[in-house]
Amino acid sequence: MIRTIAKPQEKKITGCGECRSTCQSACKTSCTVGNQSCERVTREEKIEKI
Amino acid sequence: MVHVFHYHDHHYIYDTGSGALHECDENTARYLAGEQTQWTDEQMKAALAEIEGLKDAGLLYKEEVHTAPVKSHEVKALCIHICHDCNLRCKYCFADEGAYHAAREMMSSETAKRAIDFLIANSGSRRVLEVDFFGGEPLMNLSVIKETVAYAKAEAAKRGKRFLFTTTTNGLLLNDDAIEFLNAEMENVVLSLDGRKEVHDAVRKTVSGKGSFDAVIDKIKKFVSIRGDKHYYVRGTFTAKNLDFSKDVLFLADQGFTSLSVEPVVTDIPELQIGEEHLPQIEAEYERLCDEYIRREAEGKGFSFFHFHIDLEGGPCLQKRVSACGAGNEYFSVVPNGDIYPCHQFAGDAKWKMGNVYEGKLDGEIRSLFASSCLFTRDKCDGCFAKFICSGGCSANNYHYNGDINKPYEMTCAMMKKRIECAMHVLAERKSREK
Repeated sequence: MIRTIAKPQEKKITGCGECRSTCQSACKTSCTVGNQSCERVTREEKIEKI
Repeated sequence: MVHVFHYHDHHYIYDTGSGALHECDENTARYLAGEQTQWTDEQMKAALAEIEGLKDAGLLYKEEVHTAPVKSHEVKALCIHICHDCNLRCKYCFADEGAYHAAREMMSSETAKRAIDFLIANSGSRRVLEVDFFGGEPLMNLSVIKETVAYAKAEAAKRGKRFLFTTTTNGLLLNDDAIEFLNAEMENVVLSLDGRKEVHDAVRKTVSGKGSFDAVIDKIKKFVSIRGDKHYYVRGTFTAKNLDFSKDVLFLADQGFTSLSVEPVVTDIPELQIGEEHLPQIEAEYERLCDEYIRREAEGKGFSFFHFHIDLEGGPCLQKRVSACGAGNEYFSVVPNGDIYPCHQFAGDAKWKMGNVYEGKLDGEIRSLFASSCLFTRDKCDGCFAKFICSGGCSANNYHYNGDINKPYEMTCAMMKKRIECAMHVLAERKSREK
């Protein structure tokens, strides 16, 4: 029996480059892109105006 | 490709093409791994139908997209080495105890402002810019940080941009003034603390050679207590001397810190360096940490461990996943005299100097090397299940251990893969609880 745990949501936006630079995280030695969020989605969810 | 892995009595399938994670029974896992199963004919028929259904839905054996990223030359972020000096003498410091193999010096406010000008001038249409104040110990030059933040905010406002600031500190100079400023201005603060007192004190020494734990623990606790819900990381390092590092992570959690990261050391000191012979113990230690992490989370006493974060549903887009870390193209470090390097780990190595903020130009050859580097220039990554999550690893690590930014360091890869499997198990357990 197979149970799907997670599958990526379809993205309407890709490659916009709005995401944070990977090395601005905690580690400074083990940068992991997969730990990051899609910043555009994050920001738009927060309805942040700049 | 499909990656089948086991965690205790759980069996998982990760499909690299779709990014989907599934949990399955042991026989299905064995079948997908090409091993003998103990299915009856009827069971096999049902399982194969299920597998075909997932294939049809694009969630299993989905073809990987191998399109090289289109990289812009917009600069997003700078690591500003505000101070090449430190008030600690940590044995494992990759930055030569803060001096970066040169004279100890502070960045002037003029140079810091020129670095901000450089970032803004090269940021194109990018709206949100990032600056990480790094050292040495940045709080030794707090007045220049304050001046730089004020300048950056004013300049950004004129151009419809905004800055996110980060400071990394060892905590020794965290007084009321510094705490108030950091909490007001920093999007993220990274506080260096290795864990148990004896572990911390063995490597993180004061200038006079004493352990620094007692001098920083209360300050860091005070800072975090005032920080509220703003981002911070208590960030430790583990070495060959504390391969039982899960105890250090849990010690930090027991101190009330809820956002943690403990990283393998980057050093060439033989007694501290992590080698292949340590890998089985390190992998077991990540599992021990993972088990306790899940237990605490289930009891409502959870904390956040950086490497157990994984967002398989809403994480970065494929373009980002194949672009590598961005060092040398969209992210640079600037040292106190204004020289520019691909990132903090290359700082001070003349071979990698890319320019100076007073000149404003960048070495085209070095930038091209980094701009062209991506997951698909890292041949060893091709058959790896983790490639769309780690993006080929840290260019600096690759260079320092293997002499080539495109040649991943096997030890880093092995630890990364273990952490990703743990993170996937954490996610599966969390989803089970939510049901």
